[in-house]
Amino acid sequence: MSFDHTMLYLTAPEITLALLASAVLLLDSFLKPSQRVLTYIATLLSLLIVFMVTFATHVDSSLMAFDGQYIRDPMSDVLKLSLFVLMAFVFVYAKDDLRRRGSERGEFYALGLFALLGMMIMISAASFLSLYLGLELLALCLYALVAFQRNSASGSEAAMKYFVLGALASGLLLYGISMVYGATGQLGFAAIAERLQQGQVDAVVMSFGLVFVVLGLAFKLGAVPFHMWVPDVYQGAPTSVTALIGSAPKVAAFAMAMRILVDALPSMQEQWQLMLIILAVLSLAVGNIVAIAQTNIKRMLAYSTISHVGFILLGLIAGTTVGYASAMFYALVYALTALGGFGLLMFISRQGFDAENLHDLKGLNERSPWYALMMMLVLFSMAGVPPTVGFFAKLAVLDAIIRVDLLWLAITAVIFSVIGAFYYLRVIKMMYFDKAECSEPLQASTDTRFALSLNGLAMIGLGIMPSALMSVCASVFA
Amino acid sequence: MLLFAATMVVTRRNPVQSALFLVLTFFCTSAIWLLLEAEFLAITLVLVYVGAVMVLFLFVIMMLDVDVAAMRAGFVRYLPIGLLVAIAMVVQLVMVVGPQRFGLDKVAAPIRHAADYSNTEELGQLLYTVYMYPFEIAAFILLIAIVAAISLTLRRRKGVRHQDISKQVRVKRDDRVRLVSMQAEERDD
Amino acid sequence: MDMKSIYLTIVLLPLLGALIAGLTCRVIPRALAHWITISSVALSCGLSLYVGKLFLLDHQEVFNQTIYTWMVVDGLHLQVGFLVDTLTAVMISVVTFVSLMVHIYTIGYMSHDEGYQRFFSYIALFTFAMLMLVMSNNFLQLFFGWEAVGLVSYLLIGFYVKRESAIFANMKAFIVNRVGDFGFILGIAAVAMYFGSLDYVEVFNKAPQLSDTSLSIMGDGSWSVLTVICILLFVGAMGKSAQVPLHVWLPDSMEGPTPISALIHAATMVTAGIFMVARMSPLYELSPTALSFVLIIGATTAFFMGLIGIVQNDIKRVIAYSTLSQLGYMVVALGVSAYAAGIFHLMTHAFFKALLFLAAGSVIIGMHHDQDIRNMGNIRKYMPITYVTFLIGTLALIGFPGFAGFFSKDAIISAVHASSLAGSGYAYWMVLAGVFVTALYSFRLFFIVFHGKERMDDHTREHLKESPWVVTLPLILLAIPSIFIGALAIEPLLFGPLFEGVIKVLPQHDVLETLREEFHGIGAFVLHGMMEPPFWLAMGGLFTAWFVYMKKPQMSEDIKQRLLPLYNILDNKYGFDDFNQKLFAGGSRALGSLLWKGGDVVLIDGLAVNGSAKSIGWFSSILRHIQTGYLYHYAMVMIVALLALLFWFV
Repeated sequence: MSFDHTMLYLTAPEITLALLASAVLLLDSFLKPSQRVLTYIATLLSLLIVFMVTFATHVDSSLMAFDGQYIRDPMSDVLKLSLFVLMAFVFVYAKDDLRRRGSERGEFYALGLFALLGMMIMISAASFLSLYLGLELLALCLYALVAFQRNSASGSEAAMKYFVLGALASGLLLYGISMVYGATGQLGFAAIAERLQQGQVDAVVMSFGLVFVVLGLAFKLGAVPFHMWVPDVYQGAPTSVTALIGSAPKVAAFAMAMRILVDALPSMQEQWQLMLIILAVLSLAVGNIVAIAQTNIKRMLAYSTISHVGFILLGLIAGTTVGYASAMFYALVYALTALGGFGLLMFISRQGFDAENLHDLKGLNERSPWYALMMMLVLFSMAGVPPTVGFFAKLAVLDAIIRVDLLWLAITAVIFSVIGAFYYLRVIKMMYFDKAECSEPLQASTDTRFALSLNGLAMIGLGIMPSALMSVCASVFA
Repeated sequence: MLLFAATMVVTRRNPVQSALFLVLTFFCTSAIWLLLEAEFLAITLVLVYVGAVMVLFLFVIMMLDVDVAAMRAGFVRYLPIGLLVAIAMVVQLVMVVGPQRFGLDKVAAPIRHAADYSNTEELGQLLYTVYMYPFEIAAFILLIAIVAAISLTLRRRKGVRHQDISKQVRVKRDDRVRLVSMQAEERDD
Repeated sequence: MDMKSIYLTIVLLPLLGALIAGLTCRVIPRALAHWITISSVALSCGLSLYVGKLFLLDHQEVFNQTIYTWMVVDGLHLQVGFLVDTLTAVMISVVTFVSLMVHIYTIGYMSHDEGYQRFFSYIALFTFAMLMLVMSNNFLQLFFGWEAVGLVSYLLIGFYVKRESAIFANMKAFIVNRVGDFGFILGIAAVAMYFGSLDYVEVFNKAPQLSDTSLSIMGDGSWSVLTVICILLFVGAMGKSAQVPLHVWLPDSMEGPTPISALIHAATMVTAGIFMVARMSPLYELSPTALSFVLIIGATTAFFMGLIGIVQNDIKRVIAYSTLSQLGYMVVALGVSAYAAGIFHLMTHAFFKALLFLAAGSVIIGMHHDQDIRNMGNIRKYMPITYVTFLIGTLALIGFPGFAGFFSKDAIISAVHASSLAGSGYAYWMVLAGVFVTALYSFRLFFIVFHGKERMDDHTREHLKESPWVVTLPLILLAIPSIFIGALAIEPLLFGPLFEGVIKVLPQHDVLETLREEFHGIGAFVLHGMMEPPFWLAMGGLFTAWFVYMKKPQMSEDIKQRLLPLYNILDNKYGFDDFNQKLFAGGSRALGSLLWKGGDVVLIDGLAVNGSAKSIGWFSSILRHIQTGYLYHYAMVMIVALLALLFWFV
């Protein structure tokens, strides 16, 4: 292998972030608990720096580095940039939440940054090896974060479940990868695709491996029937961590699906299409229907995530550039929307009390009309009510699906979305028409308020002007 | 032998016994690797897993009193369905990963290397060139593991008595000894 | 600053003002609210007048550009864009100027109202919506402005949310407009379907090719596509511009505060329909049938609505009916392809009608919000400025030679006279008779309010005084154009090349050409006008009003007794309201309750909604139990699913 400067140039975002994350970790260990705000600032600053580095070094075509381990293309750039924005929101929301729980430790920020690094590696992975390692890096951070509140029994239980199931899933994924390696003798995505193109690959072994790989993917995304961890983890983890798990990793998982299915296994499209259809329909059905029976709002949002994952899968199923673009749009929009939802939940919680149950939201309008409005926008966006951005995301995905003549699938998706609209609207009804159970004013720092408002307004802003983000997504696959 | 040992690990009632069978399992694995001419890996396996990890593990097991009976309560109830699934799985695996697909006619046997061929050197070569990127990521994963483990377990409990050396050194006389001037007591004799 | 940013500023400033005043309406002080909105509208008005000057005097180039593409659906570009030409320039100048006057006036009129900030937010928002409407370069944005204007007018008519009649009125306005908008959106859909584009220029260029296309709606009858489109669009205009039979909402909308009546229901919103038809002239020109339809509707409105004005006793309602009648004139002008005359009348009317409304508002302030003219009289003595400006407005309205209304109205009547379109004979007589009626009701109002006996009670009389300067200043500023704008603008607007390329008139329809030949300067036009029947009819109306209501006040009672059936018909407004109320409102309510009980309660609620909700709820609780919380169950599910997939695919 040859080592040259372009390699450093291409991987600059990852390298910068790795250094900055370590710096934050170090910095934090020298700070007193009362100076924790410095860690927070340093974290946000790091995100800003990486954002600028990524933006400054952005590429127009796809380039490889590290002997086909690393790929940098427009898709990865766009996804990474949006990840930075999402993570910034996560940190801003989390700060108040952690402080309230009395567990604001610097490790949160460091682990968050390392999780981000893992996601970036996944997004830029060009071979199964780097993809798997990125996945593990991300997962390890998340396991630790779920158990972050040490004295919470439900947190530890959730972490335990997440860890064991995650280990099982990555074991299966690894097995699938070894099958693919066994059949093709390659780990790089492009090389695998080339081998498959040439033929002479054992089809049975390949489909055997594919099943395992798709399983690993489905687990990461939280698609039914590999979704069992999602509700427990969402509920058990501190809300700030839930916000992290529920947003950015979905984007990374989308990238992972794109890399594996589209970059490496395009010639097996027929097979994975069918598998994804099964997963998508099950996710839409189970997610939307079970969410109705939930009384815990985090659990409800978990099931709603599952149903949204169904939609992301729909975009992939279309198997066209339009479909990929719409899935990407959906993933980004969903991540932002979910963040807004969890952010507002944290906002409503207060000292020694977590807003977890649906009735905690009752009468929010009386307590704070502005944030009730923000919550309504977020929920409308999740339900896909125009003119919020969620509507356009759904529209784009359905459009892509109909274009490939999968009308029945689109109709199924719409029916389940209508069912799903019920539980979002129920929350809105509670916020606006029910009496508040407590009338304490809501407290939050200025930056949180600002971020929440920005987040909520983005729902409607992007909804009125969806074409900007949409065209970015489309240009990536052009 | 490997299969036997692995089965014993799962079925033994005594955790110490199963840990020891796990050691046996590692030995068998390492022997297989030796046969495959992966000497370095075989040695590493024995050194790291048997030498370090398992010893530590045994310590933990012996220190904790694991209630085995409670853990086995559900075992029998789920045994049939578990077995069914396991058998189905095994059948599948054997069908796919059998000799007819991975036999010598499909995959060429590795070339025999000369005696001076160094497995270790070759591995090092690869690890630090082609696979440098994954290698670095793996390093970060280990770092995270350390951070996570410490952040989850390290806690300063109140009420635990421990020495703070710097505090002890910095201590001044005034902190410890209080001079009290008292009125001399009248002698009542 | 380039033109694009100027146009954007014109549109966005009122929006900004509205947002600031609206979102913070509970927080900011009253003075700040009006300063923010007034300064934003004032700036917008200044820029509009500048743009108007560029177009009218310096022959600025037409600006047609897309600002933002909202989305693309199946090749149909949905976008926001501006088309600014002379027509737009005239419209934005009028809209922002009148709006600014109304803003200033509102400070005085609403000074004691609780919803002060909210009110300012609404009127600024209205200005924004109207600007979006007139500056649009495509049908979608036109529709947006159209609906936004409707929405704000709904909010404003029902501004006094606690008054039942106001709520009734805004409901009525909303529903009637909905009927019109239904036609309108069908028209737009037809445009999208047959032209495959919503952009004005593209549609207009394609229109001639489609003039022979026809479609069959039902049965065997085949219709020209363009006629259908034009009539559908005009149905929308009938709703907004209050033409028979969709006029019923406008008199009721007087429930809103007076500034609104001036801004929305006289000067701007109701003119949206006129503007739209003028903008669509390339389409309408190709369909004589649609033009005849427009003509007859307009002529009917012009005469019969004027008649109702004679019997009204609410000062604002009289003016409202006069608005209806004047709108009828504009529509007539459109019908005979004298689009420029229609726009010209729109402009003059905007000034003098806003003036009349605001002056009436000034009287209402003086009368402590009593609007019944039977309680007024001889107010001239107490409110001299209001008196003079009201007189100017009235003279302009009846078309007294030299005043603004004279030029525009005379141009329309001559144009109708010159037209040979089917129905133009009927229209000619209607508009001629309308002149007499206009003069009659206008001066009836004028004499009863400002002259004659003082009929108000003593308490009111003691407090009767001239309104503050924020009220009178707009009156004076509006009085000036009410006198002069006609003489100034007639030549460039009607006979100049100003609208060339903007409004398209086929040679065989070009009635203004006839007028152009006869036109020899303003003085000659005025002298000539004095010889014509309209002038004498107007004088006759004036004289009749004077004779009946001033000279022999008891005579009106006599006439009323003698012509009781006729009076009743007029007083009931030809029964439109009752008819609508009973047949449509009652009928739809009956149908509604039938559907509600039969369809909704039993079928949809019982079976579809509650039934499916119940079954889903049941299903949901079953599925929920799968999530047991036990780790080994989870792992088991995963493995089983894996096996299933394996057996399926391998």
